Amino acid sequence: MSTASPQIAPSDSITEDEQIGVFSAILVMIGRNKTLVAGFSLILLIGLFSLFGTLLIDPERTEVGAGKPAQSPSSEHLLGTDQQGRDVFADLAYGTPASLIIGLIAGVIGVGIGTALGFLAGYYRGYWDTFISLTTDVFLTIPALLVLVVIASMTTVLSIEAMGLLIGFFAWMGPARTIRSQVLSLRDRSYVDVAKFNGVRDIEIIWRELVPTLMPYIAASFVGTVAAAILASIGLSALGLGPQNEPSLGLTIYWSVTYGALIREMWWWFGPPIVVIVMLFIGLFLMTAGLDQVSNPRLRTSV
Amino acid sequence: MTTTKDVPLRVENLEVHYHTRKGPVKAVDGVSFELQKGERLGLVGESGSGKSTIALSLMVAHKEPAKIEGGKIFLNGTDMLTLNDNEVRRKRLSEIAMVPQGALNSLNPVMRVKDQMIDGLKAHGVSKSQDEFADFIAELLTRVGLDVAVAEMYPHELSGGMKQRVTIALSISMNPSVIIADEPTSALDVVVQRQIVQTLREAQDRIGAATILIGHDMGLMAQFATRIGIMYAGRLVEIGPTKEIFNNPKHPYTQMLISSLPNTRGKRRLSGIPGITPSLLNPPPGCVFHTRCPQATERCMIEIPKLVAEENGHSWACHLYTEAKSEEEVTA
Repeated sequence: MSTASPQIAPSDSITEDEQIGVFSAILVMIGRNKTLVAGFSLILLIGLFSLFGTLLIDPERTEVGAGKPAQSPSSEHLLGTDQQGRDVFADLAYGTPASLIIGLIAGVIGVGIGTALGFLAGYYRGYWDTFISLTTDVFLTIPALLVLVVIASMTTVLSIEAMGLLIGFFAWMGPARTIRSQVLSLRDRSYVDVAKFNGVRDIEIIWRELVPTLMPYIAASFVGTVAAAILASIGLSALGLGPQNEPSLGLTIYWSVTYGALIREMWWWFGPPIVVIVMLFIGLFLMTAGLDQVSNPRLRTSV
Repeated sequence: MTTTKDVPLRVENLEVHYHTRKGPVKAVDGVSFELQKGERLGLVGESGSGKSTIALSLMVAHKEPAKIEGGKIFLNGTDMLTLNDNEVRRKRLSEIAMVPQGALNSLNPVMRVKDQMIDGLKAHGVSKSQDEFADFIAELLTRVGLDVAVAEMYPHELSGGMKQRVTIALSISMNPSVIIADEPTSALDVVVQRQIVQTLREAQDRIGAATILIGHDMGLMAQFATRIGIMYAGRLVEIGPTKEIFNNPKHPYTQMLISSLPNTRGKRRLSGIPGITPSLLNPPPGCVFHTRCPQATERCMIEIPKLVAEENGHSWACHLYTEAKSEEEVTA
């Protein structure tokens, strides 16, 4: 027995109430991160607006001829109506989630593919790395928006989900590159070596040792990808290349431009979607900045 | 062949080269040794003498550009170098375990100590209930002199010595027959170093594992090892019982190494070893030590001395002691 060696006790032993659960610890850390909280609240606000909007507002109000055309805001139409009698507020309530869904689908696909490839290339190196890095670099040189414009103009009916998928397949290169570089530095940490010495499988090393460390990083790149995807989708819709049969923020802008809302000073038509888009991007930007602070402690303003 | 199961580890003519652009660097050049059950071997040598390369090679965990060019590593009678990756993986921890260098970075900062310990066991298909694992880990931690509460802690809550104790606990978790401790005390202060080596010794003794302690602290070696091997420029130049090495060193390098140590019995000037280790890219011909050896002869520059077993389990590779014999042979 080890009676001969001195008992090294921890300097202060842990009592039950000092033990903080992982989740509450994360919550405390997030709570201290004002940037992240601000961004998250903004996105939550927009999310709640779309949720209650779609629940409370009759979808028929987004259809052509739902009200008199080109009405300024009134108690019946909170944000007035457009040239074809659609209720702008209802349009907004149904169009915002559409944009969010496109962003989420593209984000999940882009970060999913990117993370998988990044881990594969960074951890296994060798031919995998050469092949994946080369492919990533080639794809990075392809102007995604151009390809999206071509594809969108070729397909006649494009659903929200298809749009998300399409954008997602052009969004994985960034995450793949950044995750790969992070894995490259992590895989040579001595605790990864120790796991290998202890006979832990590669897949378990990736899952148990590397992924948790990179989680804030992956989250930040997810939010970034969502923002880029939303921007791309709104851009396409504003050009009239997005889904035409479902309301979306970009489509509202497209109609307002087509019918000269700006010249006709119909601010209630082109203004609201712009405000929502700006809020969306500020929120997403704050979230990325906040998550950056989580993964990079040097950026933290408070501990 | 006597590669029976009674010999936990037997290394034959191990050759490990680092393939660089300038050519192969012979980091380990024909090293052979054997470990008996429960034996403690100290492997001593300067930086770059191939100690750590041996350690990694024994685990078959050497990294590019290192490559095992030749030799055999028998672990409980099985040649590790003939196994595939998955078979090697299963041998690690269960039969051959490593206490890593640099205790401070050896634990995952985002995992609790207990989870890291369980991971290794699970990788070997050990399935226990949560409570059984907790009991098992508590037992391991007490064995290395740690409080049970450490299991629930994160590495940053532990001191350097405590972290190294955790790695020792990890290494003995599956009762391996061989433990390799690669400079386990390198980042720790002197007092803690002694305690850690003492802990390692007790843990090793209890499970009867043959152990290799790698380092350059001769004092620590004297405290721990039953046998000491001296490495120089990728070769094993002398190996023998600890007492023999200290009291009766044969190889000039060992002699100079011993005379560079302070002694409590009377005052004397400490002497260093002049010169530096030769480049292993182009090792000098003959005996690798001849460039720094005060007693080098012409023969040392031509002929590579072999490690020859002499009395008391003491072996050395030096021409000084075989010269007379070969001259006789020449005259005869």
